This record gives sequence, C-alpha cells and structure tokens, in this order.
Amino acid sequence: MDAATVLNYLIAFFSLFVVNVFILLYLRNRNTYLRPPEKTDWEPVISVVIPAYNESRYLRDCLESVVSVDYPEEKLDIIVVDDGSTDNTLEIAREFREKGARAFSKENKGKGAALNFGLEKARGELVATMDADSYLTRNTIRELIPHFLDRDVMAVTPAVKVRPDNSWIKELQRVEYLMILFSRKLLSYIDSVPVTPGPFSMFRAKVFDEVGDFDEHNLVEDQEIALRIQSHNYKIRSSMTADVYTEPPENIKDLLRQRVRWQRGGFRNYWKYKFMIKPEFGDFGMYFVPLNFATITAFFLLIGLMLYSTFTTPYYVQYIWLDAFGMSMGFFTFVGAFVILASLLFLYLSVKSFRDEKVKLRYLLSFMVFYWYLMIGYNFLFVWKELKKEGFSW
Amino acid sequence: MKRKMSLSLYGAAFLISLAVFIAGVFVGSVLDTTSTQTISEEISRVSERVSSVQLLLLMEANSSSFCPVYLSELESIDEDVENFGHRLSYLESEKNVHDVELKKQYFVLEAESYLLSQKVRGLCGDDSVLLVHFYSNSNCSRCEEQGAEILRARDGLDRNVKLFSFDGDIGSPVAEAFMNRYNIRTYPSVVINGKRYSGFRSAEELQELISEAQ
Repeated sequence: MDAATVLNYLIAFFSLFVVNVFILLYLRNRNTYLRPPEKTDWEPVISVVIPAYNESRYLRDCLESVVSVDYPEEKLDIIVVDDGSTDNTLEIAREFREKGARAFSKENKGKGAALNFGLEKARGELVATMDADSYLTRNTIRELIPHFLDRDVMAVTPAVKVRPDNSWIKELQRVEYLMILFSRKLLSYIDSVPVTPGPFSMFRAKVFDEVGDFDEHNLVEDQEIALRIQSHNYKIRSSMTADVYTEPPENIKDLLRQRVRWQRGGFRNYWKYKFMIKPEFGDFGMYFVPLNFATITAFFLLIGLMLYSTFTTPYYVQYIWLDAFGMSMGFFTFVGAFVILASLLFLYLSVKSFRDEKVKLRYLLSFMVFYWYLMIGYNFLFVWKELKKEGFSW
Repeated sequence: MKRKMSLSLYGAAFLISLAVFIAGVFVGSVLDTTSTQTISEEISRVSERVSSVQLLLLMEANSSSFCPVYLSELESIDEDVENFGHRLSYLESEKNVHDVELKKQYFVLEAESYLLSQKVRGLCGDDSVLLVHFYSNSNCSRCEEQGAEILRARDGLDRNVKLFSFDGDIGSPVAEAFMNRYNIRTYPSVVINGKRYSGFRSAEELQELISEAQ
C-alpha cells in the first residue's frame, strides 16, 4: 500500500467516525431532544442588547418583534446601540422609546465594542444579544428562561432559522441552519456548544463579570465568547423551541465573504483555545476542539488526494473508463456510499425534527453538492488570505 | 461543572465505524475477485474464437479466399485482447490486485492472437502494424511511461496498429519464449513488425518507426 492509499483509508475512517458520533448522540437522546424544559414562573428582568450599524432596512421589524414578545413590558430592558450609523438607524430606535427601548449612540468601533457598551447599560439578570436583522417570535423568551434554572448554565442559544424564501440560495441556507441547529443540540449533550449565535443568544449577566466582555478585535466574537465560557467550564444549552429568524446573505458573493470571515475567525479562535485539549476539559477539550483541526486537515488532504489521483491516472484508462469505473466500485464506493447515506439521513432528521419546517426535496438533495463547492471556495480563500496576512474587515 | 468524557460514545462510534470499514474491505475484495473472474472468463471466450479462426485456416489450407472473414474476426479479437490488457493493468496498478495466473492466461491469448495476426497479415496482404511491448512491473523504471507513449503514438497515426505487451518477469513460459525469439535483453523494448528496438522510445520516435515499418 502506498501513502496515498493509507491516507485515503484514514480519511474514510475519520469521516465514518464523526458521522457515527452524531448519529449515536441522536439515537441516545431521540426521545427528549425536542422536549422543552419545564415551564417556570420565574420572570427575571431581561436586557436585550441590539448593536446596529446602518440597519434602517431591518431595525424597525426587529424592534417590533421584540416589543411584541410574550413577556411583561416592565421586565424587558431593550437597548439599541447605534454604532455610528450614517443612516436613520438612531431615529428608528427612538421611535420605540415609549415602548421601553433605550437608544444610545456612540462612535463607530465595531460590533464587539457596541455589544460591550450595551452590556454596561444593561440592568437585567439575564442579558440577550441580538442582531438588528433578526426577529423574535412570541414565545422566544419564555422558551429560553427555564434553561437557566440550572445554575451552571451561563448561556442558552435559540433555534436560529431562516424564513422560507423563493430564492434558492436562501433555501439552501435555511436547510443549513436547520442542520447547524440540530448539530448544536446534539453537541449540547456532550457540553460542546461552540457558539452563542449573534442573531440572538441569552446570557446570565454575571457571566461577563466572570469571564470578561466580548472580544472587540475578533472576527467572530459570538464564537469567541462561547469558547471562553466553555473554558471556564460553564454550560451552554441549546433550545429547539425558541424560534428566532434571521436574514441570511442574499447572494453568493456575500455568502462567501461571510464564510471566509467565519472560517478565518473560527480557526484563529480554536487556535487560541487549543490549550483546552486536555482531559480536564472533557468532551469539549478532547473531542470537539481537536475535531475542528482534524476536519480542516482532512479537507485539504482530501483535495490533495483528489488532485493527485487525477494527475496520476494512467494514460490507458481513457480506453477503458467504463470498465475502470466498474472495477473501482469497491471499498471506497461502499464506505463513501455509507457516509453519504448517513449524512443524508442526518440532513433529513435535521429538517424532520422541526415539525413545521418543510423543505423541498431538491434542496435537500442539492445541499451537499452546493456546500462541497462552497467549502472549497471559502477554505481556499481562508488559506490565501491568511498567507497574505490580509487584515480583518467585515 | 465537572466535565466528563463520553468514552462509551466514542467507543461505540469507533466500533460501528470499524464494522462498516471491515464490511467495505470485504465488499471491495469480493468485487475485485469478481473483476478478475470476469476477465478470466472473457479471455477463455476470446481464446475459443482464436481457435476457430486457426481451425478455419487449417481447413481451407491457407487459401486467401476467406480473408475478409479472418480480417474482420481478428480485428475484433485484437481489440478485446488490448482491452483485457488495460483492465489487468488497472487492477494491478490502481487496485493492488496481483493475479499471476490470470496474467499468464492472458499472455497465452496474446501470443495466439499475435501469431494469428502475423499469419493473416502475410496471407491477406494487410498493412496493419504489429507492435509488441516488452516490460516488467518489478524492475523497470520507465515501462509505465513507455506504455503511455505507445498509446499516444498510435493515437496520432491513421495506420492500424495492433498492440501486444508481455511482462517478462512473472514466470510466464509464453512471455519468455517471445523474449528469446526477439532476443530481448532490456526493459522496455518494443518490436515493430518483427524488428527489435531496445530502450525507451518517445511517442514521436515510435511514430517514425511505425511509418517506416514494412
């Protein structure tokens, strides 16, 4: 066996293993994973911090959704931080003054700084961070609160979804968000939720005193804070019933730019938290953090192997390509088919687990192909930009 | 919170993956065996067709009146023979399937069809070129490249070139007999219409040699 074959075998085994861990997590928790925690009468004051930079397009709908949420008005502390917008973001925020929203304006310093500014003003026992292009549903907050009855829980993530849309690029992202949501729920069973999503996440206010505020110089500050909370061995829970809707990128270019940012910021954050690869950090340290490094390594090895096999295909194969195709049906076709079927099953379960989410079959089937190419795109741009040492920008 | 490691989860996932992996290797080896069996059966069938042509030649006392039959029959036989060769190479180089007996069986068929083609060529005045490539998979660094160059050379020519190849190092009596017949000492070597050329030849060189061949 040559090195390429051994590597192929290793990557095949790695993929199988990762898929199987997820499937087993689902099987172990399939009876309870949708069940929300017990209802509670506890009604703490909740601050909702909304940083906004030139968000006049969405902010009104966003605030409208917050003020009409099912929660006592006097216990809802809405804080809009206008991050030096050049449009009428601040005016829109002020329209909601009578409904309890406080609007602040500061010079433009980025999202992390705006969040920290809002945290200082926050009065609530629980603090939620929210993007101005996201919307709550009536029960979002009531569904999240019970998770905090566990004193170790410092953050709870909601079910961030994309509204059904006729555009294929949004529909594919809708499928993706459902899959991310499903994975995050499964990861919460091994205390490895790696992100408190920017669109909406709820924190126990005191966690910021203990672990510090948001990192103001981070490309994905909503991931960094989650990793920091994990490094202090606190719990992050994931709700499947507290719906929050967000606006995804509308075209390939924006989507690619977003993903390159996630990949660059994400990789740097995991690199920063690689010290957690220790048994004392349990599943998160010994499985999840290394998994991220292994995945990106496996991805580039796989691309390398594919190129290698293309360039080393013997000349005669063109005369017998049909026979060669037949003969190549062996080990890899079997294992590959298993991985693909298991992934499709996983995708199906992700969508199926939300009773009211319907996705057209063609989006489910084209999902993996589309994301494979998207992944090639952002991974190569990620490496390219890191090598060029290009500066960070949103 | 005190963290823990879900060792049973990873253990179970590892075992399931291992089971699928082993099943995959098993399915793979079954399919590889099927591939070699299929080739072996096809070789036997083409062997019978070669025998029929030989029989016809004997019965008709080498008269040229059946030339159209010989030529058309041989053309399809030689195509099949070449196809088997590629498939065997593919199994060997890409799938790591080394079946010496199958290769020996194949070389017998090659020898038969080569000799038959040679005979019919003389009898029917056919202007096709017979090219034999002598190689070794065990001790020849440029043989694989030579194989590709031969195919490239033929692709660039209009002339009908029939290809045969023998691995001289697997202990096939037929291959060794051919080596002796053409006095082959080095790998790679090619024989074009009975004339030997030792050492690596590029596609362009081969095309020239083929054009010159009688």
